[in-house]
This record gives sequence, structure tokens and C-alpha cells, in this order.
Amino acid sequence: MRVVVTGLGAVTPIGTGREDFWTSLLEGRNGFGDVTSLDISGYKVNRGCELRDFDASPYFQRQDPNSMGRTSHLAVAAARMALGDAGLDADSYPSERAGVCIGTTSGEPLVIEELDDCIVGECLDESDKHFSYRYPCHVIAAHVAREFELGGINQVIPTACAAGNYAVAYAMDALLAGRADVMLAGGADAFSRITYTGFYRLGAIAPDICRPFDLNRSGMIPGEGAAMVVLESEERAQRRGARIYAEMAGYGLSCDAFHMTGPHPEGDGAARAMRMALKSSRSNREDVGYICAHGTGTKASDKAETKAVKQVFGDGAYQIPVSSIKSMLGHTMGAASAIEAVACASTLSEGKIPPTANWETPDPECDLDYVTSGARDQQVEVVMSNAYAFGGNNASIVLKRYRG
Amino acid sequence: MNREVVITGTGVVSPLGDSRGEVHEALCAGQTALKSVQGFDTPGIEPPLAGEIADFDPVAYLGSRNLRPLDRTSKLLTTAAKLAAEDSGWTAEMLAEHDVGLVVGTMFCSAHTISQFDQRGLREGPSRASPLDFANTVINAASGQAAIWHKLSGLNSTISAGSTSGLQALAYAVDMIRSGRATALLSGGVEELCYETFFGFYNSGSLCNSPGRDQPMPVPFDTRRNGFFLSEGAALLMLEEAESAAARGARVLAEIKGHGSAFDCRSSSRADGHSELLADAIVRAVQAALDDAGLTAADVQAVSASANGSRADMTEATALAQTFNGQTDRLPVTAIKRMLGDQLGAAGAMQTIDMVETIHDQRLPGIHGLEDVEGTLPGSVSDLTREFEVETALVNSVGLDGNCCSLVIAAHS
Repeated sequence: MRVVVTGLGAVTPIGTGREDFWTSLLEGRNGFGDVTSLDISGYKVNRGCELRDFDASPYFQRQDPNSMGRTSHLAVAAARMALGDAGLDADSYPSERAGVCIGTTSGEPLVIEELDDCIVGECLDESDKHFSYRYPCHVIAAHVAREFELGGINQVIPTACAAGNYAVAYAMDALLAGRADVMLAGGADAFSRITYTGFYRLGAIAPDICRPFDLNRSGMIPGEGAAMVVLESEERAQRRGARIYAEMAGYGLSCDAFHMTGPHPEGDGAARAMRMALKSSRSNREDVGYICAHGTGTKASDKAETKAVKQVFGDGAYQIPVSSIKSMLGHTMGAASAIEAVACASTLSEGKIPPTANWETPDPECDLDYVTSGARDQQVEVVMSNAYAFGGNNASIVLKRYRG
Repeated sequence: MNREVVITGTGVVSPLGDSRGEVHEALCAGQTALKSVQGFDTPGIEPPLAGEIADFDPVAYLGSRNLRPLDRTSKLLTTAAKLAAEDSGWTAEMLAEHDVGLVVGTMFCSAHTISQFDQRGLREGPSRASPLDFANTVINAASGQAAIWHKLSGLNSTISAGSTSGLQALAYAVDMIRSGRATALLSGGVEELCYETFFGFYNSGSLCNSPGRDQPMPVPFDTRRNGFFLSEGAALLMLEEAESAAARGARVLAEIKGHGSAFDCRSSSRADGHSELLADAIVRAVQAALDDAGLTAADVQAVSASANGSRADMTEATALAQTFNGQTDRLPVTAIKRMLGDQLGAAGAMQTIDMVETIHDQRLPGIHGLEDVEGTLPGSVSDLTREFEVETALVNSVGLDGNCCSLVIAAHS
């Protein structure tokens, strides 16, 4: 059985909806700006990739968006777009055979931030009453399931910034194991004071723009967003005449077991995940025509990822286009690799590779082909998408061009 | 899918003991974990009651090496991992040499650390927030920290599905082993008791000691029940592919035969009392687990219910009565949250571990203090600890947001 991607939905700092987002990616548009959703006066950096003017209400039909946190809003919006893109609604799948799996870094951080405001301001009342049922991150998948009548598997995989890939991988396995007929899978994270403060304290936020793999790269830029993909069996997709973007072919997961917030300096764990992903997808390393990098724009992460790619692909690494779309939309945390999965599926179906934007100066330690002069027209057969996270988590997925 | 999954060891940190034997004895004796909380200040509430591991001393288990970066949730999990590894015969060297993975269910993970990190930034300015604490604010912090401590380089997943998280984590791990993506996984759940979650549940009115209650009555299935009590702990099982476990000469405690899950997507909000829609989802999860195990309801000889003393216990009772189709009179059902409290994300794994012990010693803990049974399970629930033959058992986990998960375990054949 082959698992295929038949629907794509994304809410990102550079565009909402598959087409908008894809157009922005190919144009190399930046999503950075001054931070507006939190009081930035105590910080020495002021750079974020927020979703401006995002209105959740058009995406809800069965629930009150005011009864839940912002991450759920983003997830429901992306899910509605993905299902619409796939030509599916609740009448087109048996509810008990349809499931959802969502990755996240922080879950519903604004709910606990509201509680903290109240604790510090000594005004505990309502926020404390709904904390226990609005905060736990599983509610994100619960809200998506209620909105679209998904009565099967329901899970959140909060494996930080690699979570989107974990979710897509798990959804693939659920289909292969016969536990579902249709799976929505992706990631979501809302812009958060806690996250912003944390990366600020790690000295990881770039003061101006994000420049992955550039010698003068100065960090990442925290963002927010969500993306969902629809996965189903090839047979089911063909039977209903669905547009098939790509095959979800395999994945690899590993743990550095080395450091909570930094990568293994040689990229050993990342390399193991990539090798497993190749094996799991029955791909040879020569087949890979594009690597969608984790590429956050920090010194350590980009260097370790480059080393890991060379470990796995040897001299062939120099022939493979590698780009980081975080150069444009910042780091959307648990949504990042889900958004990247949308980009990868589009790359395979459209024959275009998105660029690494903002790149100017070569780094001798980052010497691969980073697609630095704009999007590239190139038909690709196999893509690998990497995601790395706090906790030393590594997750690589492999998507293949679908030829019927 | 011929690869079978066996349980070769368990690790437990709980208010009723730190081994499955000790916890099982306490459960069978009807001991309760409910007592006054010491770990945090509780302005305006006298006395705050919960299932706290008041004397938890991680140094006693782990030594003092490399503990500083770990918060309480991480320490609980890392300790359970140590105990599970030892129980299953995995030495530290073996763990470091093989790609052993970790799959952890949790509902809140490090909510206390997250809140403290944020509060410090608010009170003293963002430049005073602690980068060391920030590492523990991600929801997979505990599994990351435990992996570093034990050098677990295999897959590292965290699963959140409300209070079904622990059982869902086991289900995830089973599929990973069956599909050949892993051969040995530590899997289960962790949850800490902290100010934030305690007061959250306290003020939402869910607890047996929430405002307005005369006397705590966390007795599942009893007409007098008035809510659950919050508890904490970590529970991990070493799951291994059967042939690989046999090849290393491992002792096998039990087998995991199958699992199933379902979600109640039709209820408009979380369950507050009895819900037919949630009952339907529970029935589907149990049936899916039985199908996955290649068994029928008639094969099940004991059930560990999710019931915790909430009004919603009736929903699970209805679902079990429906699944076992009038056979519940001969089917003993326990609900160990009566004694242990609700360990949320750790609960399903803790239930599973205790059922392993029930299969071992053929005793099912009674539901302490149960007198006046409501509804559909009169013949199957009892306040008495019962002895009988049990080889195949069902573990059930239900979350009030609609998550349902069931697991079938059996004696090793």
C-alpha cells in the first residue's frame, strides 16, 4: 500500500492557503516585522514572524472560537483548507475511519500566559477556572476533530520543533497499519511570550533578518503558523479521482541524547534519521533531488545540519539543492516541518524548488548548494525534509513524486 | 505484522510505592494516596488534598550526577526509566549501545516550570528569565532529559491525548515495534502534581475536594462519588520485540496483544456527566483493541477501568456493559484511581503495570469504599480484592474531551 498526499493547507507569515503561500515562497518574500502581540520593551531584540490580522471565525462552523486558544484556531484553519483542497468534507469519509495527528512545541501557550498574568497581577479568577481544560495541548486535535467530525485516531505529538514531521510520520503509519482511511496531519503553534523570551535568553534571535547558511547569519526569528496535509491510500485517492500531490514514502526518527537545546556538533543523530528515512522509503541517496532543510539560521544548527547531510550523501551532497524556507517565514516551531511538508509536496507536483532567501556571504563550513539566487525550475523525484528539536529530536521524512 | 510485543520490565514512581509489587499490595489493601499536599502553598484552601509523592528523592535512585538540569517531571520520568531498565535487565551500557527509544505520554508535562519561567520574566523582566528553565518549557522536555541521562538514542516521542496519553503512548510504541521501526522502547507516561494543575482542576470543580464538597468521595461507580483526586507519578514499561527479547534471554512479564482508539467528535463539548456519544466512542475503542488482538469480548477476564470518581464514570460503565453484552456479571472490573488518584498522563501506563501484576498474582484490587453501585456494573465491581484466574485483560482509558484508548494484555504463552 502506498500513502499519498491529496490536500494541503497552510497559515503562514507569508501567505494563507496553499497557493498564496507557494507564490510567496517562490518570490522569496520575507515575513519578518516588529513584534506587535507582546510588550517588547524589556527585550533587546524586536523581530518576529507574526500572523497579522488573522481572523479565526470564517474557519469555524461547529464550535465557538472564543472557547479555545489561538493554536487551535490556526490548526482548524489549516485543516479546513487542507480538506477543501482535497475535495473532502465530513460526508466524504466514514467518521470513525478518519483521524487527526498534530505536532506542536508549546500547545496553547497563551492560556498559561494568561494564568501567569493573573498570578503575577494577583487577579486569579476566570482564567484559573478554564486553565485545566483549555491549556493541555491535546485540545488542539480535539478541536479539529469536532470541527470536521473525525472520530478515529486523535493525537497530539508535542515533540517541539520537529513535531510536524512526527505527526505526518505517525499518520502515515496509522494508514499503513489499517487503523484509518483518511488522516489529517500537521503542526500548529501560536506566537508566544514564553517562546520569544526563551529564544531571546538563548541569544538565538536574529536582530534583523534570518539568513540560513550565510557566514554572517545571526539567528532565527520566532514565528507562528499551522499547516495540515491530507493523507490517504493511493487506492482510495484514485477511486475518488483526487489530485495527488506526492507520495508520503518514509521517515526516520532519532535522538541525539546529547544536549537539550543544541545539536550534536557532528550531526550524528540527524544523519541517522536521514539514513533511516532513506531506507524506510526504499530510496537510494542518489535519488534525492532536493533537501528541505531545518535551516533555522543559527550558527550551530546550520553547521551541524550541513555536516549531517555530508555524512549521509558523501560527495553527492554537493549536487543536491538544499534550501531553508525559514529564511522567509521564520521559525514557526511545531508548525515548521508541517509547513515544510506542504512546500515539499508542492515542489514535487510543480517542479520548482523554493529558495533560501537573504543569503549573501558564503560560509566555508556551509558549502552546499543552498539555492540562493531565487526559486529554481527543476523536476525532482525524491525530496527529504529535515526537522530538529529541543530534546535532541531528529525527524526526517521522504516524499516522492507521484506518477500514477 | 507478525512481530509480537512483550513487556520485559516496569518502572514506577507513585505515591503508593516505587515498584509494581509494592503498589499492587497497597491497591489490594485499599490504601489511599489522598493526603495533605506539602509541595506548594495553598492560600485559602485548608487542607489541599492530593496524591503527592511527598518523599520523592531522585538522588536515592539516580545519584547526584547530572540532576541539576532536570525539573520534577523530568526527575520522575528519568527515575521510572532507570527502574524499568533495571527490572528488564538492561544495563546502562546496553542502553547506550543500542538504539533504545522512549515514548512518553503526558498531559501537562512541565506546566509548573513553564509558568515559573514566564512569571520570572514578568516580575523581573525578560532578561532575568532562566535559559536553563527554558529548555524544560517544551512539552517533550521530560523525554528529552531522560534520553540524555540514559543515553537513549532511538526514537523519542511524546504523546498528548489528555488523560489517555499514557495508554496512547503504549499503543504508539506497540505499532513502532510491530512495524519494525524499533525493537526496544521504554514507554508509558508521566505527570507531576503542581500548583498550576491542582488549582486549575480545583477551581474548575472537577475534584472531589473542589469548592462546595462536604467530604471527598472519589469512589468510582458509587452513587455518592463527587469527583476525582489529582495525583502524580511516572510509569514506564520496557517493550520489546518478542524474538529479540527471547534472544537476549529476557524474562517476559506479559504480552501486549492489541490496542484501539477512538474519539467522540460529535459531542459539542467535553463530557460533564453521562454521554451516550462518548460511550459509543469507548465501545469503538474497546472493539478495535479486541479486533487488533484477534480476540472477542468473551476472552477478556478482567478490566482496569478509567473511572476516577467523576460523574462521567457512568459513561464508561454503560460502554463496558454494552461491549460485554450482559456478560459483565462474570467480568471483574477494577478502578485503581480510587486509591491512586488520577495521574492523568501517567494513569493508563500505571493501570497497565498493575494489570501485569494482577496477571502475575491473580488478584484484582477492589474499589475501596464502594457501597452503593450506580447503574450497569453491579455484578462486576466490588470493594473487595478478588482472586481468580486471569490470563487476558483489558485496560481502558477515557478522556473527557473525547479521547478513548484500550489495550489488551495477556500472560506470556
